[in-house]
Amino acid sequence: METNNRNLKNEIAEKLGDEVLRGALGRFAEAYPIARAKAYENVEDIDALRNQLRAMKIDTVANIEKVADKFETEATKRGAKVFRAKDGDALKKYLIDLCQEKGVKRIVKSKSMASEEIHLNHSLEAAGLHVKETDLGEWIISLAGHKPSHMVMPAIHLNKEQIAGYFSKELKQEIPTDIPIMVQVARQNLRKEFLLADMGISGANFGIAENGAIGLVTNEGNARLATTLPRVHVVIMGYEKLIPNITDAAPILRTLPRNATGQLMTSYMTMVSGQTPVMVKQDGKWIEQEKELHIILLDNGRLKAAHDDKFKEIYQCVRCASCLNVCPIYTLVGGHVYGHIYAGGIGAILTALLNSQEDFDKINELCIGCRKCVDICPGKINIPGLIDELRSQTVKEKGLPFGVRMVFENVLANRKVFHNLLRLASIGQKPFTTGHVIRHLPLFLAGMAKDRSLPAIADVPLRDRIGKITKKIVKPTKRVALFAGCNTDFVFPETGEAVYKVLQDLNMEVIFPEDQSCCGKPLLGMGDRDIAKKIAKRNIVAFEEAKADVILSSCPTCTETWHETYVDLFADDAEWKLRAEKIAHKFKEFTSFVAESYANTGRLTSAPGGTKVTYHDSCHAKRGLGIYKEPRALLDATSGYELVEMKDCDKCCGMAGAFGIKYTEISMPILKQKITNIKDTGAEIIAVGCPACMMQIQGGLDKQAPHIKVKHIAQLLADKIKD
Amino acid sequence: MKKVCENWGNYFPTENLGDHLFPEFEKRASAASTEIFRAKTALEAQEFVTNLAKFTNAKKIVTVDSPLQNAAGINQQLQSMGIAVYTDVADIAEHAESSDIGISTVEFGIAESGSVCMDGYAFESRLVSMLPPIHIAFMNSNNIVLGITEAFDIISKVYDRGYISFITGPSRTADIERVLTIGVHGPSRFILIAIDEEVAGGVL
Repeated sequence: METNNRNLKNEIAEKLGDEVLRGALGRFAEAYPIARAKAYENVEDIDALRNQLRAMKIDTVANIEKVADKFETEATKRGAKVFRAKDGDALKKYLIDLCQEKGVKRIVKSKSMASEEIHLNHSLEAAGLHVKETDLGEWIISLAGHKPSHMVMPAIHLNKEQIAGYFSKELKQEIPTDIPIMVQVARQNLRKEFLLADMGISGANFGIAENGAIGLVTNEGNARLATTLPRVHVVIMGYEKLIPNITDAAPILRTLPRNATGQLMTSYMTMVSGQTPVMVKQDGKWIEQEKELHIILLDNGRLKAAHDDKFKEIYQCVRCASCLNVCPIYTLVGGHVYGHIYAGGIGAILTALLNSQEDFDKINELCIGCRKCVDICPGKINIPGLIDELRSQTVKEKGLPFGVRMVFENVLANRKVFHNLLRLASIGQKPFTTGHVIRHLPLFLAGMAKDRSLPAIADVPLRDRIGKITKKIVKPTKRVALFAGCNTDFVFPETGEAVYKVLQDLNMEVIFPEDQSCCGKPLLGMGDRDIAKKIAKRNIVAFEEAKADVILSSCPTCTETWHETYVDLFADDAEWKLRAEKIAHKFKEFTSFVAESYANTGRLTSAPGGTKVTYHDSCHAKRGLGIYKEPRALLDATSGYELVEMKDCDKCCGMAGAFGIKYTEISMPILKQKITNIKDTGAEIIAVGCPACMMQIQGGLDKQAPHIKVKHIAQLLADKIKD
Repeated sequence: MKKVCENWGNYFPTENLGDHLFPEFEKRASAASTEIFRAKTALEAQEFVTNLAKFTNAKKIVTVDSPLQNAAGINQQLQSMGIAVYTDVADIAEHAESSDIGISTVEFGIAESGSVCMDGYAFESRLVSMLPPIHIAFMNSNNIVLGITEAFDIISKVYDRGYISFITGPSRTADIERVLTIGVHGPSRFILIAIDEEVAGGVL
């Protein structure tokens, strides 16, 4: 375990107050997507390329032992010595023994995250060895005594003034704050190290089983020098870097540089297979020898992950760190708050699997599940999904905190108790609230809203308005059962009313199964699968009994829960799995369903001009369900609205379940940027397709732009329908 | 000199290879700060190299030979200018670090990324491309493949053991404030001389 008694809130506050960090990460977050898009301009089908990479990695992990055996055989055949290290201690012992045996005193290292993972330098130095990091960023942080704050740009948290300070201290001379000069200073100092070193240690970006080769990508050229000049070369490589064939390197090399740094290829890509010649000076004469080559395959939790049905997905990671670059949280707070050495969403997962679950538990809430990372990952890793899985493991082992568990078991698991409490809340809150504030309603009951005001519960929930809003439809085209979800039912019943109006206008019969409750997503977000299963079963029964043609929700998060999570929850229960699948098939999201119905009835035609409206894509709609064209088509087809797009329209609004409540200080800057982007469009209305985003954005508008109204698409459509 | 493959040309694809890909290759390589000089003949290339040596005031050059470089008669010409030229492996080991220019030959270029593929099995071929501040590489301008995938199709046929590199521009870093800075551990200039003329006895 890394550090005990961390005060994450203080650490976050400190990072948010770090102007250097905020500035650097903010500029980077702006520049990165543009650079990446440009780098992919000559890739015809990016998705096909990602699928190719993903499929290759999935095949490899399924046969990881065979691939590793083949790699070992082929590398050994070519003169390499392969050592399989169970963990950091085994690796260090092998390496230190090797140094003694070969008379190694001086070591140069090119970048290896696997060696950072086990804090190798520390142990080598303690064994009396002279060790130098040669990647400029790694050298800088080694002088500063920091951990890397980004996998590709380890020193992104420092500015040139700070770095010049570290250089001056190390070299005992005043180094000017001029970047080209500083780079030259590093070159001269480290060149000496390369020429004097007995051993070079490198990582590997891939290891090829077919011929035992390892591959490295670098921009500085330090890996070429570290693998060429010293008489001994040691490779430290995790099992996840193995690939079966030489041609399998192509999809890695077509994606890794583009995703990591926006380059079509790094300055250098180097492959070494077997022993290669090296010139060594002996008694003043240059003698050619075969270089001593050792390849250490580091396990440290990787093989266990390879055999886990879910976590084997980490083998699809090529360590490009693009998931960090688009993460709304990482780009605010940087890498150090993630505790161990791996940062961001994938970092949190790697920390759990390769370091300790305890370290993960401290930071697990720093993922808001927005899925920006899933969209950009070359290996298409479901990072938020794996984080959810890790959370549920923790809960399984340790249980939820007492208060939370009590609420979940006694309140959420019982619909009537839960809903009665909500009704009581609507009375009790009166003197204290001014607007709608919290997302994922049930959580406030669990005492998690202490830093925020409570949500404004509607006077009359949707379920009590049904009689009034239900119209008798003669010969309906469809029978639609509405799944409201907590937010629509108890906070925004007017959205539910609008849904009724739009559907009835389409000549559909709408019904509201009384027994429906929370979809269970908040429980799953907290890692509680058992109670979530109970709730899922009740919901499924309620909607089976409704005998509807279509089940509809105006909340994309609920929709996704029904589509995917319910099916996944019952993976081990054939009967319920079938029932969940059957019902998922009928379950539709509001905007996509209505857009389709309008198209079928010839109503989806462009009607330009009118009030300016901008649209915010909810994470779950855009990246979870792939719905983003439909709401726009609906706005375009409704007369009286003109759609204007905002910057970063699909970036998370910052609330994301318990996150925005527990980490208000991180959530607020994200929301503030969103509101600024909305204001910049000059729109009078911000349209959303998700009641949770609606709540968050409303909170921001109240403070920053009260003249702009937030409305669910259903309301915008209903407003134009004559009663 | 030790090589991964004695004749890479035997393994080039029969289609989608050639100088029709050169403009795309040139665009991508230039974007990565490779300096490209295209020469019709080996003789033209010789002039370019000697001029470069003159203008950079080079005193010491390390070079690993190839038929393409020999055809251009580079070494003799440089020596006649009074420049110390080292071609032997032990000399290269001794002098590469203090040389002004390193010269070698690369096997082919990749249009997709503007990279060139170097056979670096021999220790000396690596040193000349890594240690001096300027690296000049010779290449036949017909040896351009479409993409990284095609490059690995070739490599998979020839690569049993040894050392292979792609080079895409000079050594660079952005580790300080994300400011692109050229010439960290490797050369600060990477100059590619692409010769159209086919040289007798194979390209390389």
